[in-house]
Amino acid sequence: MSGHLAPGAVATDGAADFCRTCALSSVCAMVGYGKPELSPLHSLMEHLGPYRAGEAVFHQGDPFEAVYAVRAGTVKTRQLDHQGREHVLGFFLPGEVIGLDAIYPDRFPCDAVALDDAQFCRFSFPAMSVLATRQPAVQRHLFRLISRPLGAARLLAGDHSADERLAAFLVDLGERHAVRGFSGTHYQLSMSRSDIASYLSLAAETVSRTLSRFRAKGLVAIKGRVLHLRDQQQLRELGQNLLAA
Amino acid sequence: MNHAIQIPEFDPALIARYDMAGPRYTSYPTAPQFRGDFDERALRSAIQASNEEPIPRPLSIYVHVPFCVSPCFYCGCNRIITRDVGKADRYLERLYREIELVAKLFDRDRQVTQLHFGGGTPNFLDVPRMQELMGVLARHFSFSVERNREFGIEIDPRFADADYIRGMGELGFNRISVGIQDFDPAVQAAVNRIQSVAQTREVLEAARASGFRSTSVDLIYGLPRQTVAGFERTLGEVVALAPDRVAVYAYAHLPEMFKAQRQIDAAELPDPATRLALIGRALARLDEAGYAYVGMDHFARTDDELVVAQRAGTLQRNFQGYSTHGECDIVGLGVSAIGRIGDSYSQSARDLTGYYAALDNGRLPVARGLALVEDDLIRREAIGQLMCYGELDMIAFGEHRGIVFAEYFAAELERLHALAGDGLVTLDERTIRVTPRGRLLLRIVAMCFDAYLGKAAPTRFSRAI
Repeated sequence: MSGHLAPGAVATDGAADFCRTCALSSVCAMVGYGKPELSPLHSLMEHLGPYRAGEAVFHQGDPFEAVYAVRAGTVKTRQLDHQGREHVLGFFLPGEVIGLDAIYPDRFPCDAVALDDAQFCRFSFPAMSVLATRQPAVQRHLFRLISRPLGAARLLAGDHSADERLAAFLVDLGERHAVRGFSGTHYQLSMSRSDIASYLSLAAETVSRTLSRFRAKGLVAIKGRVLHLRDQQQLRELGQNLLAA
Repeated sequence: MNHAIQIPEFDPALIARYDMAGPRYTSYPTAPQFRGDFDERALRSAIQASNEEPIPRPLSIYVHVPFCVSPCFYCGCNRIITRDVGKADRYLERLYREIELVAKLFDRDRQVTQLHFGGGTPNFLDVPRMQELMGVLARHFSFSVERNREFGIEIDPRFADADYIRGMGELGFNRISVGIQDFDPAVQAAVNRIQSVAQTREVLEAARASGFRSTSVDLIYGLPRQTVAGFERTLGEVVALAPDRVAVYAYAHLPEMFKAQRQIDAAELPDPATRLALIGRALARLDEAGYAYVGMDHFARTDDELVVAQRAGTLQRNFQGYSTHGECDIVGLGVSAIGRIGDSYSQSARDLTGYYAALDNGRLPVARGLALVEDDLIRREAIGQLMCYGELDMIAFGEHRGIVFAEYFAAELERLHALAGDGLVTLDERTIRVTPRGRLLLRIVAMCFDAYLGKAAPTRFSRAI
């Protein structure tokens, strides 16, 4: 599938919000997507998907050839241990980029699995590298992306209570939704409770018990998978040790 | 939301005009819409998805005991007439297999906050068998230990004494539902159910003495040989028994569907005017005695949790009628049992042969079901809202569901306007309100939102009144 992008690197196929907020949109803008005279550069990026829930975009051990920006849907990255147990490493929303941590080992350290119908922009890494040597602005942007601290590591590390972990997780997800132009206080949890539990190193029951407690305190309202952060302030305070200032 | 609870207004002429077949909407879509392609895999994945919600819903278990010692001629339930307890043992063997198979699909932290034994006649099982069955359930599921858990059992007082009821109390049951139908001896003879007031009182008193928190009785109007005077006496005796809830069902004579009903002489059935007078007397007498009309067939004391829930806006429709535990996933166990997991319904094989065959091969006995689509969910909510509260705020509903109500339900609103002309509902820009005159015809109002009516082959439902 090839992408048709309008001037300003804004997609014309209903994903305008996606491009505006995509971590790689400036790369698209810098290489002049939408300018026909630069069409050779289109080999840099292609559209992939839709992938159905449960389908993998790439697998652990696959050679690293590209990074993937989520266009639509939600994606988790995970590793399977020797016993076949799943360890969820992170969740990715539209506009977020997966695969940057594969640059050094040259192989993907994890699987990336769609949690609902998901679509991607696949950026060929060899092409990006060539581009980066020619355009310093692209290089600077890539360096910045790679060195951006990963929230996942922070949430997993250290001795934090279930309340702290979960509060930080919900606030962080809300903020990421808000950055993408969605509601930061009403959003759908596309990930299952065992995914959340695995990601936060908690038992599934603990996730539910903690959420029930938050609900009883009026911090959140939950119906099915739809979450409403009713008291973001208090949740932020609860999770402050895990959240970026 | 303030739900004004209205006393229904009894308008015989209006009710006679709408005396037509209609579903009770204990589920939407209704059971005739369930499909054979909803199979074991579909059920397993519905359960899996329900486990994976951030806060998985607690469980409500329904156990079907299909056996009866003797046939009541009015009955349209799925049951097997036998005196052979050996049949029960063969059934229990399969039921235990089903419990084992089903329970392990649910995460262990999902507590059972509601349990209901229906039939058939649950008290066909004696105390030791009930003990064993409750033990198996408790071992495989996580029973809630909270005081507000609801463990209910339907009892036929002709085959239960005070000792039996005490035994059920010790097993954890705290709600009892007792069939009466009518105390009039002429009616009892015509329907083959001879049951004295004394037998019924013994069971209800034993239940109260054994710590049961709620007692409920069922009556039926429209039975053969029923008269207004006789039913009036029955109502007086029922009021004296002081149950917390009373259900008054309409008898639907469908002998071509229910074999037992062929024993009933159609010539002995009350005429439409008498039927109306019977329900009219029931409404008046129960109102006098301080019972509130919850909706459809159900009445309850004003301090009963159903009435409290109705005022609080937390009442839900379920297979037993109305429930305060609507947030549960319903696990149906036993032959013909219906479950409701997440956005799905499923029903087990309706005959013992099919039910046994599945379990003997290690398969779940699901025979049919339905995975609800968005339109079903929207309509289920609208129907539930009207059934529980007799009122629907179209603006709020539309915002909550992400639809423009007036557009989405344009055809339905047209149908409602016709009912408004007859005074069943009032309609303004914002609210659909069932009038006191329309409250007894809730089914007719709800039918306006049923997308399946008229679509498929006509299905037989019992009459609206």
